[in-house]
Amino acid sequence: MKGMLRVFSLLLLCGLLLGTGVPAGQAQGDSQPGQEKSQKEKQEKKKKKSGGFFSGLKAVTGESSEQQEVTATAGSKTVGEGERIGDAQPTAADRQAVSAMENYTLSPGDVKKFQDDGQLKPKQ
Amino acid sequence: MKQAKAFRIGLWAVAAAVILALLGPAPEAQAQFGDFLKKAAEKAQKVQKALQPMTVEEEREVGREVSAKLVAFFGLYKDEALTRYVNLVGATVAAQAERQDITYHFAILDSDDINAFSAPGGYIFITRGALAICEDESELAGVLAHEVGHVAGKHVLKIVERDKAMRAGVDEARAHMPGSAYLHKMSKGILIKLIDQGLAPSDEYDADERGVRYAHAAGYPADGLARFLSKLDQATEQGGKSFWTRTHPPVKERNARIQQNITAQHWEDADRPKLADRFAAATEKLKPKQGA
Repeated sequence: MKGMLRVFSLLLLCGLLLGTGVPAGQAQGDSQPGQEKSQKEKQEKKKKKSGGFFSGLKAVTGESSEQQEVTATAGSKTVGEGERIGDAQPTAADRQAVSAMENYTLSPGDVKKFQDDGQLKPKQ
Repeated sequence: MKQAKAFRIGLWAVAAAVILALLGPAPEAQAQFGDFLKKAAEKAQKVQKALQPMTVEEEREVGREVSAKLVAFFGLYKDEALTRYVNLVGATVAAQAERQDITYHFAILDSDDINAFSAPGGYIFITRGALAICEDESELAGVLAHEVGHVAGKHVLKIVERDKAMRAGVDEARAHMPGSAYLHKMSKGILIKLIDQGLAPSDEYDADERGVRYAHAAGYPADGLARFLSKLDQATEQGGKSFWTRTHPPVKERNARIQQNITAQHWEDADRPKLADRFAAATEKLKPKQGA
């Protein structure tokens, strides 16, 4: 009896292993177009609900609940200055100005002379 | 009885095995499963990266984008001599900051508003309006040192790092430089936080404490920032525009803390140079002409 059960279990296992080879495309192909549509709708709804992987960005963007609270407390629907600055689209010239800011260098000698002229005695 | 039941189960198992075997192996399904595993591994890698602290280069990329937006909105005040002067004062206080793994950059924004900004990566801005209300170099040093304090304390950076998804955005953004959608969203978020919402009061007090310490260590009187804040308070009461008074803790509270700190540290040096004359000479163009 035990031996028979072992054989059946082995057969069952074989069946399951072979079963992993069920072509997904074949299975999808069997479904009706209407069913596909409803499945897509379901998936879209799910995506909207979860907000996607980058939904955490809301915490620091204008969409955050914190921001909504701030706006609500102020009783104003106007866009904040930070948001307006954030919406600014830098031109190539603006980016070049930032690069120039980065590349602006002062020689240690110039800084030392400036401090000496001002009689500043910075900690070394 | 038991034997018959076992036989029935076995028969079903054989039937299932035969049906599944007939369907045959499906390479498409295997490929789909492989894709799924690959995507899952990529996502896990992204999340793992997101949990790590930002590198200095990543921090600089974010700061660069925030700075580009500030420059795009306000424009830079183009006065070579004054820019050099602000950089000299800035370099003097920044040299005293604990954080020296980045270079601090200073520039003047062409705005009447009385503001100063700092972006991750060491980008520090002061407006023309803020320079105009300073009376001496020690006040300017105090303001710049406060902003250096924000960068050294990584106050904005910590907000970015706290938001794991945002960090993942930084990694993504690296592939889309410059001005990627991710960096746009992120820098906009930082600007809203800085200007519309404000940092946590504890971060502002920390930047004040650091600022006072750096200015004093640089050789300036320790109370430059406090004197600037008093003038800012007056100026905004008279209609001057500043987000500092809107989003920062009250000036009275900040100055009380600064004074408490100066007293505790015995930093009340009356003979330290305020450098009012040098400041006046450097900012001469900003002052309204008499009779104009």
